[in-house]
Amino acid sequence: TSSSLVPQAQSSVVQVAAACKPPASSPGLVSVLVDSRCITACVDVVSSLRQRHAVTAHVCSLDGCDFVVSNRMAVERQNQSELAGSQNRKRLVERVTNLQGLFERICLIIEKDRTKPGEVSRPSQRTRYYDSTLASLVRAGVRLLVSGGPEESAALLAELARLEQRKGQAISVPLEVKGHRQQALAFYRTLPCVSYVSALNMAQSFRSVSHLVNSSVEALQKGACVSHPRAEEIYRSLRYSCDTTLMNTSTARKNDI
Amino acid sequence: MEIKPPVLVNAVPPYGHVIAHEKWRDSVLVQSLKGTGNVKTIFEEELGVVDFHLSNKSCILYVSETDIVAGNNYKRKLVRFRNANSSLQGIVVVEKTRLSEQYFPAMQKFVVFELGLTLLPVASQLEASQLLTQIVHGESKDNPFRRKSVSRLLDPLVMSLVQQIPGVGKVKARALLQHFCSIHQLCSAETHELEPIVGQATAQSISNFFHNPLV
Repeated sequence: TSSSLVPQAQSSVVQVAAACKPPASSPGLVSVLVDSRCITACVDVVSSLRQRHAVTAHVCSLDGCDFVVSNRMAVERQNQSELAGSQNRKRLVERVTNLQGLFERICLIIEKDRTKPGEVSRPSQRTRYYDSTLASLVRAGVRLLVSGGPEESAALLAELARLEQRKGQAISVPLEVKGHRQQALAFYRTLPCVSYVSALNMAQSFRSVSHLVNSSVEALQKGACVSHPRAEEIYRSLRYSCDTTLMNTSTARKNDI
Repeated sequence: MEIKPPVLVNAVPPYGHVIAHEKWRDSVLVQSLKGTGNVKTIFEEELGVVDFHLSNKSCILYVSETDIVAGNNYKRKLVRFRNANSSLQGIVVVEKTRLSEQYFPAMQKFVVFELGLTLLPVASQLEASQLLTQIVHGESKDNPFRRKSVSRLLDPLVMSLVQQIPGVGKVKARALLQHFCSIHQLCSAETHELEPIVGQATAQSISNFFHNPLV
């Protein structure tokens, strides 16, 4: 059966490559995905993105990050005070390491804490802990951006999305998924190294789930808009032969290492 | 005047040391590095645009409040800094104070978005020395933010993939994988091969899941 699928897979490469390019007709329009769990904390950022920066902000359930600005870049937002104390460390470590499995690039926006009306903002003592966290993040390749508040964060997000668009990485796939595609999307999201936006690209690029399962590493790379190593990982998991005696632990989540 | 390429541009200081440009000799920053940070400083005149070399293959350019407010050609300096240090990680430490704050967003945009360098704001030389100390001492520690690549068993993953197929739960997934041990094999299975394992309705559902057009 596999020989009959080869020509199909090759022809799809062309379509898929076209699907990954940003639409040339709308250079100013960019899309940003916003996690539904951060919407309460980021409501000012989201409205500024829409009203001031003409960004299409689509709220959905993301993979443990606050924003996705391109096919390969996730953006996390943190208050400065959250970064200065150790209470929040475990969560940040988990989120960042998880995102490294899903995205090529990770950005952290450090936002200045909001002061209540009437409250004088006092310069807080910079902790050694804060500096060591910054040093570790830089060493791990996380891009850091500093923001003075929600308005500035929105401007940074819009800037990142436009920069990624110029590099041909803009989110250009339809964000609404209906019917049979929803089932395929859930399946794709369970694959290793597949973020929500990669899964959306897959649902758009492949004619059927079987088409994806039978695709080459190169076709997967183009169809999901992911790097070659990630495409290899996906390919490997689709062809991996299970040992059913090891099946008792079925609760594992993806990227759970 | 053309500036000669600095001799020491790729020098890496020993662990726990920094190489600093001669002009920093009597600064608050270097004194504090030595005093509270326990970091030893080696001075060198030929560092070019770089202010500090660190042992983890990163180098630092320091932009002071005065540089920013006076608009002291710091953009050209930044570009030269970026171009001179391709093999090293370039970190720009910026004095973000009440006076220079207003210039910060433009500065960040230039350094991070246009030059692709790392930018870290500090309020004073004292804060910069604390930050440098953490960068220097952080190298010897395990970095919690670096993803460890541990090879993991894919069996549980394949199991959860099969359970994403409508109508297939844990029991049916296990039964299916005993006959077709990978997603690829399961996808190629004919409906009549699936029927004896999961029954007619689920066999049809599996076949539909894989082969129904998505467009």
